[in-house]
Amino acid sequence: MYKTEVRGPLILGDKNYRQISSDIIAPIDQPIPTWWKAVFGVSMLATLFGVYAIYTTLVVGIGSWGVNNSVGWGWEIINFVWWIGIGHAGTAFSIFLLILRQKWRTSINRAAEAMTVVAVGCAALFPALHMGRVWLMFYIFPYPNTRGPLWVNFNSPLFWDFIAITAYLLISASFWYFGMVPDFATIRDKTTSKVKRAVYGFFAFGWTGSSREWLRYEALSYVLGGIAAVLVVSVHSIVSTDFAVSVIPGWHTAVFPPYFVVGAIFSGFAMVMTLMIIIRKIYKFQDYVTDSHLNAIAKILIFVSLIMGTAYATEIFMAWYSGSTYEMFTFFKNRITGDYTFQFWAMVVCNAFIPQLFWFKKVRQNLTIAFIISLLINVGMWYERFNILITSLSKDYLPSSWTVYSPTWVEIGIFVGTLGMFVAGVLLFFKYIPMIAISEVKSILKVTSINKNEKTNASHE
Amino acid sequence: MNKNHIIGVFDDEDSLMSAVHEVKEKGFEIWEIFTPYPIHEVIEAMGKKTRFTFAAFIYGFLGAAGVLSFMYYTAVIDWPINYGGKPTNAFPSFIVVTIVITILTVTLASLFTFSLRAKIYPGKAYILPDARSTDDKFVMVFDKSKQSSGSGDLESILLNKGAVEVYEKELQPQI
Repeated sequence: MYKTEVRGPLILGDKNYRQISSDIIAPIDQPIPTWWKAVFGVSMLATLFGVYAIYTTLVVGIGSWGVNNSVGWGWEIINFVWWIGIGHAGTAFSIFLLILRQKWRTSINRAAEAMTVVAVGCAALFPALHMGRVWLMFYIFPYPNTRGPLWVNFNSPLFWDFIAITAYLLISASFWYFGMVPDFATIRDKTTSKVKRAVYGFFAFGWTGSSREWLRYEALSYVLGGIAAVLVVSVHSIVSTDFAVSVIPGWHTAVFPPYFVVGAIFSGFAMVMTLMIIIRKIYKFQDYVTDSHLNAIAKILIFVSLIMGTAYATEIFMAWYSGSTYEMFTFFKNRITGDYTFQFWAMVVCNAFIPQLFWFKKVRQNLTIAFIISLLINVGMWYERFNILITSLSKDYLPSSWTVYSPTWVEIGIFVGTLGMFVAGVLLFFKYIPMIAISEVKSILKVTSINKNEKTNASHE
Repeated sequence: MNKNHIIGVFDDEDSLMSAVHEVKEKGFEIWEIFTPYPIHEVIEAMGKKTRFTFAAFIYGFLGAAGVLSFMYYTAVIDWPINYGGKPTNAFPSFIVVTIVITILTVTLASLFTFSLRAKIYPGKAYILPDARSTDDKFVMVFDKSKQSSGSGDLESILLNKGAVEVYEKELQPQI
């Protein structure tokens, strides 16, 4: 029923099971390459800069940021929404495609989930710092306290946000880890190094691959897949309610939850494409992450880009149709034209127009162009969050409180720091964890090479 | 050494499955099958079932009921706060937190159930008859003492059905 004749073979190069394990484990057994050390060093420097910026924030306070009375949410919330958007791809990717029984997900989902965990970790940093006194963060837990007990406000989107992000981080990390257990066992049993055997053996939790384990493993993956699909949609909807529930012009719209969810999947898929192009180039995984895999991602990106364009058009139409002067001003005088023209059009061009180039087969097949487009999408998505936040806040109802916002080095430093953390996290993943889910790829080998088997081994049919 | 288990090693899924059907027909009892990836036919042939989905439903139900009653207790009974005259039992806005916490409960409780039922936990002493089964071999294991007819028959059946190796071994837990 799920034969993939339409999509072509998912694994090239006539592999057998042994080759699959050795190919994917190879980067773990090889010595650390020079480029890895160099990039890791640079990313650690960026992280250190971020740590210093965070230190300044903690010692000086939020006053060290460029935010002011009108623009109360600056780069921190832009970056928070941006990172959490990127962090949506992993779970969206593996879970939606798991539920839809799409076999091509098997060679990509591991990297996408790793990226998710790192990106959500980066995202969680921002709202925590934005609390100002981060050492009192535990106040947001609804615990029986000595202040009454005074409980948190369960009607507040900011509290929903806290719950959603915490749950998302826990769930995506455990989903990712649980998928890796059989692969850790493979490393444990294949490696010759005693240290690796002990370390991966510990993390493999005594996995053997017996039928009683696989039975529960399969059951658990479908339960988690089904339930986490709801979570993927709900987390970014909740993030959007941080904005949509308020009465700021440009924020108070019903389109926000779907618009945010689609935007998150868009930026996440673009980041998956960026990563997969890097992985297959550096680690020579072309046989597992084939051209047709990237082709499929590019086609999804076209579709999502069209939804993004529709969402932008809907917002503008509703601003006019609502007849609200403030909405009209925000969209027509402060976004399409006005002080933030560049940011608005950067968003529209990068997200709605440039991905349309993927309609051309030549663009989809040229990985250099595809790589650049995937990066531009994430630049565009950053500008989208800039647009939503800064344009609406800097010029709201009262002209006397209009202000200009520009970030200080501290805010830029925290952002650079999270970029460094992300790159460092992804590099550690490249080195120490199998980048492709070994057992899942093995499970599709028979299906994908069915034509080959028919020719050489007719007796089995 | 007491070699009490017979181990048949296969190269691919198809010959493993034909051997499984054959030995089951002849009345041999399979102790366990180890494969590099999940194979539904194997799980079916071993006659194993799981009530995992049912357990997950119960967790979800308890999670949802728990978190809703907690919010009702805190916001309505223990410390009602007047937000602009709105009702303290703000049911529609409680739903958001309920959904997320329900999902979290199901996930964490299911993971613990998995760990408990499949016996997968850190530091476990595991029994892996043939270490190649996590790489590229499909391994069928028989407990010698539980077979009614002789082990010679079993060996020839396995070899006939395409086993690349059949040997006897004492199984010991390793860490």
